[in-house]
Amino acid sequence: MKALQSKMRDLGRNGAFLLMVLPGAAWFLIFCYLPMPGAILAFKQYRLDLGGFFEGLIYSEWTGLRNFEFLFRAHDAYIITRNTVLYNLVFIILGLVLSVAMAIILFNLTQKKLAKLYQTGMFMPYFLSWIIVSYFVFSFLSVDKGVLNQLLVSLGIEPVHWYSEPKYWPFILVFMNIWKGLGYSSVVYLAAIAGIDKTYYEAAMIDGASKWQQTMNITLPLIKPMMIVLTILAVGGIFRADFGLFYQVPRDSGPLFSMTNVIDTYVYRSMKVLGDFGLAAAAGFYQSVVGFILVLTANWAVKKVNEDQALF
Amino acid sequence: MFNKKWIIGLALVILAASVLAACSSGNGSNGGNQGTEPKASKGAQNEGEKENEKPVNLIWYTIGTPPNDLKKVNDELNAYILPKINATVEMRMLDWGDYSQKMQVTIASGEPYDIAFTSSWANDYFANAKKGAFYELDALLQEKGQGILQALNPAFLEGTKVNGHHYGLPTNKELPQQRVFRFNKTMLDKNGLDISGVRTIQDLAPILKAFQEKEPTIPPIPAKIAEFLPYDLPINDLPFIGMPLDTTDYKLINVWETPEAMRYLETMHEYYKAGYLPKDVATQTDAGDYFKTGKWLLDVADAQPYADNLWSSDAGYEVVSVPMHDPIAFNWSVAGAMQAINAKSKHPDKAMEFLNLLYTDPYVINLIDYGIENVHYTKTGDQSKDSIPDSGYGFPAFTVGNLMLTYLNTGDPADKWEKFKAFNDSATNSPLLGFQVDTTNITTELANLKNAKEATYNSLFSGTLDPKENLPKVNQKLKDNGLDKVMQEVQRQIDEWRANQK
Amino acid sequence: MKPGRPGKSYDIHRLPPVWNALLHLFAGGFAFVCIFPFVFVVILSFTDENALLMYGYRIVPEQWSTQAYTYLFKTGDQLFRSYGVTILITVIGTLLSVCMTTLYAYALSRSNFKYRKFFTFFAFFTMLFGGGLVPTYIVVAQMLQLKDTLWALILPMAMNAFHIIVLRTFLQTMVPNPIIESGKIDGASEFRILFRLVVPISLPGIATIALFCTLSYWNDWFNALLYIDSGHLVPLQSLLMRIEQSMQFIISNSALLNSGQSREMLQSLPQETTRMAMVVLATGPIVFAYPFFQRYFIQGLTIGAVKD
Repeated sequence: MKALQSKMRDLGRNGAFLLMVLPGAAWFLIFCYLPMPGAILAFKQYRLDLGGFFEGLIYSEWTGLRNFEFLFRAHDAYIITRNTVLYNLVFIILGLVLSVAMAIILFNLTQKKLAKLYQTGMFMPYFLSWIIVSYFVFSFLSVDKGVLNQLLVSLGIEPVHWYSEPKYWPFILVFMNIWKGLGYSSVVYLAAIAGIDKTYYEAAMIDGASKWQQTMNITLPLIKPMMIVLTILAVGGIFRADFGLFYQVPRDSGPLFSMTNVIDTYVYRSMKVLGDFGLAAAAGFYQSVVGFILVLTANWAVKKVNEDQALF
Repeated sequence: MFNKKWIIGLALVILAASVLAACSSGNGSNGGNQGTEPKASKGAQNEGEKENEKPVNLIWYTIGTPPNDLKKVNDELNAYILPKINATVEMRMLDWGDYSQKMQVTIASGEPYDIAFTSSWANDYFANAKKGAFYELDALLQEKGQGILQALNPAFLEGTKVNGHHYGLPTNKELPQQRVFRFNKTMLDKNGLDISGVRTIQDLAPILKAFQEKEPTIPPIPAKIAEFLPYDLPINDLPFIGMPLDTTDYKLINVWETPEAMRYLETMHEYYKAGYLPKDVATQTDAGDYFKTGKWLLDVADAQPYADNLWSSDAGYEVVSVPMHDPIAFNWSVAGAMQAINAKSKHPDKAMEFLNLLYTDPYVINLIDYGIENVHYTKTGDQSKDSIPDSGYGFPAFTVGNLMLTYLNTGDPADKWEKFKAFNDSATNSPLLGFQVDTTNITTELANLKNAKEATYNSLFSGTLDPKENLPKVNQKLKDNGLDKVMQEVQRQIDEWRANQK
Repeated sequence: MKPGRPGKSYDIHRLPPVWNALLHLFAGGFAFVCIFPFVFVVILSFTDENALLMYGYRIVPEQWSTQAYTYLFKTGDQLFRSYGVTILITVIGTLLSVCMTTLYAYALSRSNFKYRKFFTFFAFFTMLFGGGLVPTYIVVAQMLQLKDTLWALILPMAMNAFHIIVLRTFLQTMVPNPIIESGKIDGASEFRILFRLVVPISLPGIATIALFCTLSYWNDWFNALLYIDSGHLVPLQSLLMRIEQSMQFIISNSALLNSGQSREMLQSLPQETTRMAMVVLATGPIVFAYPFFQRYFIQGLTIGAVKD
């Protein structure tokens, strides 16, 4: 009798939870899963004259993997894949380290007013579109009028042709990425730290723990689950590149392609001559599948270590 | 503290809501998504309505920054055309940067529309026509579009055929391309420079040299200039696959392997080294700023009759030009601006009747291009007008209809449109006029070649790189990326196309 | 929050002065690098257009001018209308989104919810896979008939799997189990536990999500591009992005255009100082809204106080 009762209550609780996820699940169903069959466009030679979109989707000719060929058989396939993956790896690792560090620093600064000011300041780049940012980068790096070259010349150093020297660009791109995203990504950690019960720190203080020890023994362990989850999610995007960063900021400069051409810019340029959205769909699908496999792998690895900290 | 912020927030919401409410009641009739059924507009009570036929509302997507008074002009237009063709149009203008993407979604999703702007550079005409997005116009043109056939130079219609059929109607404007060197006359006069013998890029050397000695602070060529090499390009994005303009055997060649290309690039590189171009010209994006400041000597542009007048009045100082070649009609220049009918339109005949008006009725085309008389412009003569500044209406006239029926600006030569006709008649057809590449079997190679081209094109053609050293490397890279296969395939298609033409 | 009590040995916000100074230098320096371009945008927006053309970007312009702003305010009610639209969709969208996200994430955070793995995956999957632009457009515009309505700007962004997973992780780590157990013992329903016990101690996490929602609604322009045809529903960012995109488009296609045409096209777009002024107007208000969220996550909460 008692077991039955608890079972009933269990169902009741699950019912409450189901009620909670209902609006969200309905939203995902309508806005994400309903359009999803459209992804088979990646395997079709799409025609527009077969009636509506769905008729077109169904009756268009199957082409198998032909839409994917331009990605794999590409002469630059190695370069664009390498660039995309390596940049993203650096972004993920450096982004993680710096945003956690920045959150801890801001949390620990003695002058709270200033800390708030800094934090607001770090958010500003998030509001500027890459197009606008590219104007500023250009005003810095322009060969004859750029601030940086004027500085170099006044120091007696040869000016640099920034937009035709690929070797500088990994640094520039990584810096720009961190510059634009750090304010945003550190907020999550800042909030995670703010959510830590203060009594932990008070107890540590009484034990005479230094700031450093508090950080290592309280803050980091407590925000570790967040770090793990955000990293797993970021891994899913490892085949996708921020188009604005890699296209607008280097001003589409040809000599830099060995360092700036990524999957997204490659597809964009290809689309300009091909103009077939089956190909764009194929590229997107490819990026998703690889990301998906990587996330599952990362999640599986985390699960091995600690079941609770896995994504699912 | 907490409460205050909430109150401010709430106040903002209420404010925003009331602003919206006020706005939407202002243009209540414009909201919602009408299908092709017309609104029961004032036009319905007008005379001329046929009892047995309900008037049709045509949805027309066209390109350009939407002006404030678009609605006003649209209403005026409907009042006029309803009795004539028993139809109204709903003008939906989309901004330059939005147009292609939005039309791609609109077309692919089967969203209802009747007429749309299309061209070689926005909402790609050739790709859409091949995929079956547009209505085939051959019969309809004969039936309802006689005015169009009379107005247009036949080369326009010939050059825009896809698989032998018509799918779009080009604007009746300048049809061929004629590339010119354009000079800032103030600078020429000030420094006593003579441009009379100029025809090629090499002829410029003495002028540039003299200019640099006299005005060392101004780079004479302020931005990237477009090249002219005497080849027809079957794929515009890949300018190294070309057909000589004077070809007799119709064999494709690699343009970048020709001596002409080498000579051109060497000259450009010399000019670059001499400091005639800005140092970072290869990555410069030019928004025409130098035109406003007047600090330039020369650039390259595409001309039309009396273009010098147009440029001079834009610039506020005199601009003169010399042509590099005789006018030539290319596929892309012929398809520079077109209107097409949706393949799924319920009223293609009405759409054609409306399009016919754009080519035959001066009132209609002037209304669309310049707005309402005495509100947006004033007439200064029988065929001329002055636009009223900041009047709230502006429309890119080159995108639609018969430009040669529009009023001239005061001060334009009276024979401007005559000259346009003569200019069009004087054009020679490029060898591949009317030929379209089918990219299905060469997608990978095209994607590779496009990326390879982008990697070098700007640096080479701006003169930044030394061609002697780099051009052979580039050509090798193009070969590695499948140039030969593409050339073979395109050649095969050209041969087939020529065989069908006979 | 009470100001820190100086002198007390267990004040957790105390850092050795040297370190404090060094870290100030680091954080402050980075913040400066971040703010600087924005200050530059403000300066450019107050620069005379001709001076900008002649001398390029200058920190101290040759000639100041308020012309860009007078031009923008003169062009009329579109700007104010767009402000209205942006504020409205941001407020409604954020409220809706935060409610739905919190409910969903809370259920996922509870280990006794039987289907939590399924629903986590259900959300996560949408982060990577989508149907593409056209099918989504068909659902929103044709099935739901949302074209040219405010809902087309709100609903397509109402949920975000990333937000859900972040909030779920917050709740998992921040909410101590005893609190929920105590609620259960009192016989409170799950909804009651969520709103009475969990939400108050999870404010930093919820505020973060609210901030992210606010930002993404405020910055959204793409939905407007797709779904809004009529001028009176165009949000602010969309107004700005239309101009930026059009500039880019014309410049990058100038090779295909007759130069007379590309000049005609460029002339219909505002000048550079005006574009900078638009950036200022589009960003200013949201920067000032920022501290409202910030108070929740920059200072720690005393959970003990809530528990009592």
